[in-house]
Amino acid sequence: MLNKRNLITYGIAFLIIIALNFLMPRMMPGDPLMAIYGDEALVAMTPEFKAQLVEGFALDKPLWQQFGAYVLALFQGDMGYSYYYNASVFNVIMGSLPWTLLVVGSSLVLSTLIGIVLGIESGWRRGSRTDRTMLAGLMSLNGFPDFFLGLVLLIVFGILLGVAPLSGALTPYSGLSGLTLLLDVLRHMALPVAALTLAHLAGGYLLTRNTMITVLKAPFMLTARAKGLSQKALKYRHAGRNSMLPVLTVTGIWLGRVVTGALFVELVFAYPGVGYLTYQALLTRDYPLIQGVFLIVTIAVLIANFAVDLLYPKLDPRVSYAH
Amino acid sequence: MHIDVKKEIKRSNIGRAGLSLLLLVVVIAVLAPLLSSYDPVQQSAGSLLSPSGSHWLGTNHVGQDIWSQLIYGARTSLLVGFSVGIISLLLGILFGVSAALVGGLYDKIVMRIVDALIVIPMVIVVILVAAYIKPDLPVLILLLSVLSWQGGARVIRAQTLSLKESGHVNVSRTFGASRLYVAWRHIIPDLGPILLVEFIYGVRRAVFIEAGLAFLGIGDPMLISWGMMMRDAMSFSYLNVWQWWLVPAGVALSLTIIGLTFVSHAAESVLDPRLRGAEVA
Repeated sequence: MLNKRNLITYGIAFLIIIALNFLMPRMMPGDPLMAIYGDEALVAMTPEFKAQLVEGFALDKPLWQQFGAYVLALFQGDMGYSYYYNASVFNVIMGSLPWTLLVVGSSLVLSTLIGIVLGIESGWRRGSRTDRTMLAGLMSLNGFPDFFLGLVLLIVFGILLGVAPLSGALTPYSGLSGLTLLLDVLRHMALPVAALTLAHLAGGYLLTRNTMITVLKAPFMLTARAKGLSQKALKYRHAGRNSMLPVLTVTGIWLGRVVTGALFVELVFAYPGVGYLTYQALLTRDYPLIQGVFLIVTIAVLIANFAVDLLYPKLDPRVSYAH
Repeated sequence: MHIDVKKEIKRSNIGRAGLSLLLLVVVIAVLAPLLSSYDPVQQSAGSLLSPSGSHWLGTNHVGQDIWSQLIYGARTSLLVGFSVGIISLLLGILFGVSAALVGGLYDKIVMRIVDALIVIPMVIVVILVAAYIKPDLPVLILLLSVLSWQGGARVIRAQTLSLKESGHVNVSRTFGASRLYVAWRHIIPDLGPILLVEFIYGVRRAVFIEAGLAFLGIGDPMLISWGMMMRDAMSFSYLNVWQWWLVPAGVALSLTIIGLTFVSHAAESVLDPRLRGAEVA
């Protein structure tokens, strides 16, 4: 919900992000221009251009004035220029963002839904053999880092079985369109999405199962049982629905984890999203791009968390009464 | 709160399995020099050899023995994991306990910062910072610790708040004990199980992030690490070397994290008695 406390929290988070992005390159030893603009920029650097950059960033002024210039530029939408790609950082990132959103969105939805259903089934049968097997199995799965799961899937389905493409998001120069294009996109995203979904399945499962165990002991469950409701209605409509709520509250934080996971998984599949872009930027020391990715990803996660906070009271009205 | 955590972990199958896995990794890490006759960083034979009697898992692209890299990698993972676990736990106790006991404006400020840090995805912060400072091992440990105390601080604060109201703490305060004495003598010992769970969470997160960073190629290239082995092996995944190079490194990393997950799950049931009995078998 939109209260003062939340606003302050997100305000502080935003400030920490901006301050990190501002201070990191400026605290480095040596020429700050190099740390801000990366190795590539020095090649193209002329004295006039350098003077212009120093002027633009107020680098000859005290730190607080530099910060002012930095924030002003940000609010004008200027996130810097990538000399490696010869394009503005914003445009470079916007070119890869849709692919990451596609993969992250699909795996977030899939892992949450499957996790909730498994959690309901497992919690319903708590203590039984099925429950114990599922618990041990999913917790083990949780231990596999997403990039290792990705590598295993790549080797099994891509190399050994040859049923999935090894890299990329599209078959290059194939000139596909319409339905075949859609199928091509799906074929390429199948393995990265599977790796991320498997790696993040356990979170939703464990939370739902734990809540389920508590909810099953609630008095309203006894009432529902006494009314003679069917097992299915008891399990999903009464216990299940209430067990889903905690999962929804942490979706925002999970989004952060899945996005981070995507950074690694994209590298495995050379999937042209933000993660792969980050990896290349790290290799070429394209600092403006690394900073841009950091800013966009962290702020996107903040906004998602904020949205969950706003939506939650609508899903669980008890929260608004409590305050 | 007076439940024996150690007993509780040993009582559940999952807890026992986790402890055994962890023990195995620790023993391997400690005995590393005895378990292999090759230096993990020295070139010991030709490159990309298949497994043989002298090189159990063959050699990598620069002729280093993969088996020694694998067992020395356990040292890096555990060293980073346990150091970060301890330091971030100490920070969590410092801020969590002090926020709860001091209260007022200080509590509000600390908790807003904690909440803010919780919503920022930390791995991305580490990547940004590491891209600039190229951390060596001690710096990496400090960096990860400074970025991962916030979750623990919140839980520790909540628990301290409830302990603060309990009888023995009140009695101690009326007898004139200082806040510091109460914190040290009564609150921190009673936080026991929570501290254990938070510590294991911290270790697990650090093991995971260290491997991830090494996999991305950030960090000290001289450090033998499972993440780095997987990164190197990935470039050769079209050859069959992944069987004895990539998979063992990935499995070792996964087993370590699974061991930690199992132990923390068993310990969690101590904290939430409603979950107890659900899988004691």
